[in-house]
Amino acid sequence: MDVGLTMSNSAPGEESSFELAKKVIQKFVQRQVFSETKIELALVLFGTDSTDNPLSQDGQYQNIRVHRHLRIPDCELLIEIENQVQPESKEGDWLDALVVCMDLLHTETKGKKYDCLNIALLTDLNTQTNEESLEVIINNLTQSGITMQFFLPFPVEEDKEGQGDSERRDPGHPGTGKGLSREQKKNMELVKEMMLSLDVEDGLDEIHTFRNAIEELCMFKRVERRPVAWPCQLTIGSSLSIRIVGYKAVTDEKPKKMWITVDAQSHQKDDVKRETVYCLDDDNETEVQKDDIIQGFRYGSDIVPFSKVDQEQMKYKHDGKCFAVLGFTKQSAIHRHQFMGSQILKIFAARDDEHAGVALSALIRALNELQMVAIVRYAYNRTSNPQVGAAFPCIKQDSECLMYVQLPFMEDLRHFTFPSLENKKFTPSDAQLSAVDSLIDSMMLVEEDENGEQRDLFKPHRIPNPAFQRHFQCLHHRAVSPGTPLPPIEPWLKAALDRPEVITERCQDPLDVLKRKFPLTEVEKKKKLKTSAQIFGKESEESEAKKVKEDEAEEYNLANIAEAPVIVFISLFGCGDPRVLPVCQQLTHRIEQLLSNKNTQYYMKSITCIQAFREQSVKLANAEHYNSYLQSLKGSIPNRGLEVFWELLVQDGLTLISKDEVEGSTVSKAEANQFLVAEEQKEEAAPAPVEDTGDVDDLVSVQCLFLTCLYFYSNTCLCNCCDSNGVKTISCVSTWGVCDVLSSQI
Amino acid sequence: MRQSLHLSLVFTVNPETGLKAAPMAEWNAYYQNEDEEGEEEEGEHSGRDYKITGRDSLVFLVDASKEMFIKGEDGEPSNFDMTMQVVRTVYTSKIISSDKDLVALVFYGTEESKNPRNSFKHVYVYHDLSEPGAKRVQEVDALRGEKGAKLAAETIGSGETSLGDALWCCANLYSDIKLRLSHKRLMIFTCRDEPHGGDSVKDRQARTKASDLKETGVVIDLMHLMKPGGFDISLFFCDIVSPPEDESELGLQLQPSDKLEDLLKRVRAKELKKRALARLNLCLGEGINVAVGIYATAVAARKPGSIKLYRETNEPVRSKTRTFHTQTGSLLLPSEIKKAQYYGGKEIVMERDEVDAIKKFDDPGLFLIGFKPMEKLKLHHHIRPAVFLYPEEDEVKGSSCLFSALLKKCSERNVFALCRFISRRNYPPRFVALLPQNEELDEGKVQITPPGFNVIYLPFADDFRTLDPPQFPSASQTQVDKMKEIVSKLRFKYRSEGFENPVIQQHFRNLEALALDMMAPEEIEDLIMPKVDQIDQRLGPLVQEFKDLVYPAYYNPESKPAAKRKTADTGGGAEKKPKVELTEDELKAHVQNNTLVKLTVPVLKDACKQFGVRTTGTKKQELIDALIARLRS
Repeated sequence: MDVGLTMSNSAPGEESSFELAKKVIQKFVQRQVFSETKIELALVLFGTDSTDNPLSQDGQYQNIRVHRHLRIPDCELLIEIENQVQPESKEGDWLDALVVCMDLLHTETKGKKYDCLNIALLTDLNTQTNEESLEVIINNLTQSGITMQFFLPFPVEEDKEGQGDSERRDPGHPGTGKGLSREQKKNMELVKEMMLSLDVEDGLDEIHTFRNAIEELCMFKRVERRPVAWPCQLTIGSSLSIRIVGYKAVTDEKPKKMWITVDAQSHQKDDVKRETVYCLDDDNETEVQKDDIIQGFRYGSDIVPFSKVDQEQMKYKHDGKCFAVLGFTKQSAIHRHQFMGSQILKIFAARDDEHAGVALSALIRALNELQMVAIVRYAYNRTSNPQVGAAFPCIKQDSECLMYVQLPFMEDLRHFTFPSLENKKFTPSDAQLSAVDSLIDSMMLVEEDENGEQRDLFKPHRIPNPAFQRHFQCLHHRAVSPGTPLPPIEPWLKAALDRPEVITERCQDPLDVLKRKFPLTEVEKKKKLKTSAQIFGKESEESEAKKVKEDEAEEYNLANIAEAPVIVFISLFGCGDPRVLPVCQQLTHRIEQLLSNKNTQYYMKSITCIQAFREQSVKLANAEHYNSYLQSLKGSIPNRGLEVFWELLVQDGLTLISKDEVEGSTVSKAEANQFLVAEEQKEEAAPAPVEDTGDVDDLVSVQCLFLTCLYFYSNTCLCNCCDSNGVKTISCVSTWGVCDVLSSQI
Repeated sequence: MRQSLHLSLVFTVNPETGLKAAPMAEWNAYYQNEDEEGEEEEGEHSGRDYKITGRDSLVFLVDASKEMFIKGEDGEPSNFDMTMQVVRTVYTSKIISSDKDLVALVFYGTEESKNPRNSFKHVYVYHDLSEPGAKRVQEVDALRGEKGAKLAAETIGSGETSLGDALWCCANLYSDIKLRLSHKRLMIFTCRDEPHGGDSVKDRQARTKASDLKETGVVIDLMHLMKPGGFDISLFFCDIVSPPEDESELGLQLQPSDKLEDLLKRVRAKELKKRALARLNLCLGEGINVAVGIYATAVAARKPGSIKLYRETNEPVRSKTRTFHTQTGSLLLPSEIKKAQYYGGKEIVMERDEVDAIKKFDDPGLFLIGFKPMEKLKLHHHIRPAVFLYPEEDEVKGSSCLFSALLKKCSERNVFALCRFISRRNYPPRFVALLPQNEELDEGKVQITPPGFNVIYLPFADDFRTLDPPQFPSASQTQVDKMKEIVSKLRFKYRSEGFENPVIQQHFRNLEALALDMMAPEEIEDLIMPKVDQIDQRLGPLVQEFKDLVYPAYYNPESKPAAKRKTADTGGGAEKKPKVELTEDELKAHVQNNTLVKLTVPVLKDACKQFGVRTTGTKKQELIDALIARLRS
């Protein structure tokens, strides 16, 4: 790469040749690093202030620096390019630099096996050159089989550049001839001469502009994997077999590397260890040694112990590798949406076996002519599960093969029925249908041009997987600029995933019509009023799942604390115990404890406590403790970030106790209602819950009183009682949470 | 195997005790692991979603009157026998595919009574609502066939009928369940269209109870069976059953089922509650959002994972996973952990939330790119099983109409819609083809295919592998014609539900045998095994004729000539290459220059052994990582 004086020149508002060239190199190296190719790479800079190369002697080969010798590129190189490759102020002879490169390739590939040698030269050609050596250089290049690529700020020929994409031509692009210096013109001729005399077809194609190169290099190289051959025999019955070889042709490609867990400080993965321990599901969570664990399987409600050895012995076994025809059927009997698995295999006749080739060709052609497929049993090897699948004939100009895809087993299918759409309510009118028609017209991605040739405007199978692109973009960024936030998605990628611009323009009007013809109204979600009890009821089943995730020991204790006080409280308070105040304090203390865990489950428990607190206070006509606690709680909400909890409280209508309820209360009904409304005046949107809560509130109080009584007078399970007493299901649901609490204690 | 059989001590889990926590812990651990590995498996599992939505439940309410036991002409099984067959099939399929669902079996019109509080006469709860297990399957089996009819006569008998009492009893079954139920279904199997013989008091009572049940969210279906003179739903049952989903008259015009297959199909269609994988918007343009639900109609059934049990008691154990610091031994909080990948000689480290953020492109949804003619969808553009799309009128009103119009037009014009699809939060986009599928009904007006779009996932450029196809001369027309004869001889009608998975079937038979203390598991028929004898017989001389046309006399496709030639080709050195041993310096140089990738796996493995590096992996990258870690330290 030329880093010399003229490379830094640029028209105002444009990137200099240096910057563009650097980008080309960056993108290129980046590609190599993340695709982990085995290509070795060296970086030679010329026009440098210093000189450092093996050929420099007696003032020869000056201002040329070998920045990096031939090696596999790594992150280090990326960082160096980012930070160390800077514009310098000398002038270097590009032909001299070329000789240094050739020498480097020659000496550093000694003893290595390689497929090809290539030199990519990035320069603006704005240097004086000693052209006498040109012929020798060309000879040498040809002899050692080195190919050349040039990357220049301008196109090699004006018309050539204009041919392909005339619309895209950058007006700021300096054309050949115009604005080029004398050196540049002269050098350009040399470049052309060199490229045309090298033994390559249309050598001028290997002269690129910086801009085009950047565009093309933008995409990270797609993940390449070498296909692995799977030799087998296709069999029809016992005596007809054809030697075949299968390859994965299409498959859901996953990222090559997994994330590994490292310590946040040391960034070492060895510092982190994961350990799994097993314990009994008893109160002490008795730990069980690994050796004392056997394996079992679920059979419906039963768990059947089934040792690994027995399992191995009893499991389904088969003869291994196989591709056996079960029969043939019409292609139309195979539904596209019933393709299973994540791959397509292509089956060819075994390499170098012409007879197999002919036999397989007969089968492929027969299937093709009959529009049929083979249904086959496929097993990759002895240890893999056999599949059933279809082998489709596939005939292309230069090759024939079978395409195998897995089909479902009976167990895989779910026969869902959906209501018919042939329903008067949904039947579209003719006007509506024609609106859809014109939308389809305007959005056809495949069109015919004037020559009757089809043009596909959008080919997903040509787009690189954006997940990988983004992944590598972020990795690159983190490698080169650690400590800075991740960059946004690159614009070209965003554009590649979007509707083509032509379509966007074309479909605008049809879309507007469609919008008018089809009224679509988002259904106002009946704000699902979740009373604590409902959530709690649901939670009780979910909680087991959560328990696993969180630290279980801790959870258990707190759960006990959470449930116990309600009982204790109800009994003490409910019996009119004189130690009301200490009991209240104890309860509020527990509530506070629970609230320190910011988690819905704990919130629910707090709410159960507050609910009980309120009910009992009303019952005893003592509003003072409750009201003062609730007021102080409200005050602390914003500071403690308990807005979510407050919302639940609001939904449950757990407001202050008003005069209407308890005579001694200093709070009016209106005040009590107002109390739950949050500080910011968002009432406009939120009055519904406040109003509705009246209902829920009543309901809950009935329940709670009911519960309290129950605790004292009966030992029967609550839910049964609800039912036989004819209490509606909804109330039954809302008792669930409390019911669980109580019944577990009873 | 014998040994294992007498060891088997079955541990039954009561769904209402806390013990079920353990298997769920298992599930959880399973998913955690999967996430850890960056898996993007989208299929749902039976164990996964019920936690959020609750469990499905199904009550079989079966008429046990004398009429049910009358055998058909020509020895056809009785209606009762047929029903038991269906119940059994549902039990076993629940065990395999959704073992968390609850099922009950209740008889009415019996002589004997058996129900929780014994408050109902002539109602016999054979199985209350619970997860089906091995024992229950056996008990249903006992009621099948000749013997079964006898057993039924002895244990339950036939007596008076009060459908009202039976329904009330079922209502109690539901309310006795303390688990959250998401879907409650009750199926009545009967061949009597006037169960109370015109007793209007009993009829009214039954209607009231039925409407009570429906009010609590129970869906009542009628599986009416053949009766001489035809089954007239309008006499009584039309007031009992739930109206069909789509308010059409479809449900009631059904003919009674007289064949097992037919009945099974009908039960199957209703037995599974369809659950959306996701509900999201199909965006056609700005402000034009059609609400749709995504359904998985084909999910590869897998052998369920194992459960760890304590050897002494066979009770399930729970697992706790902890992450701690190797040196200090202290537990690591999530904030003390980061994620890293090794590239180009450098550990590139990201925060855990950054790892998620990288995957996020947009909010979940479908975005219409355009339309393409159907032939543009290539057969080999397949990377994962399709899902199904159906409008959600409840989310956006008007969705069904626009959806229906789109479906109609796409189907008429034979085009598919190309969409960008983000299925979940923090999932990268994929492109999908929406293939229109029209509704199809069979002669019995049972839906075979539902109306909606099939969503085909399309591959990206990275998903294709570059192959170098071997080239051969094509077969001649005579050869092709001979093969056509062979193909025609082996024609059959493919049905997607025709093949059972032998691996899963064997697994469950084994479990069944162990659970029921059987001497040996029931034999399974491997349906995906070619029936070689039949094939040979059908083809007769055709095989030899074809072989004569394509293979020369000396050629034997069973041998492996190419393999031999290959070794010969490598020239002289047929003996194995001498083992290359690397010196430490060489290895270090490789690490330094990042050239380890150039070494072969065996060489790397040897190097690992040589330097005492222990690796769990066998993949090349894992070996390299291990070596680098060792040599840099």
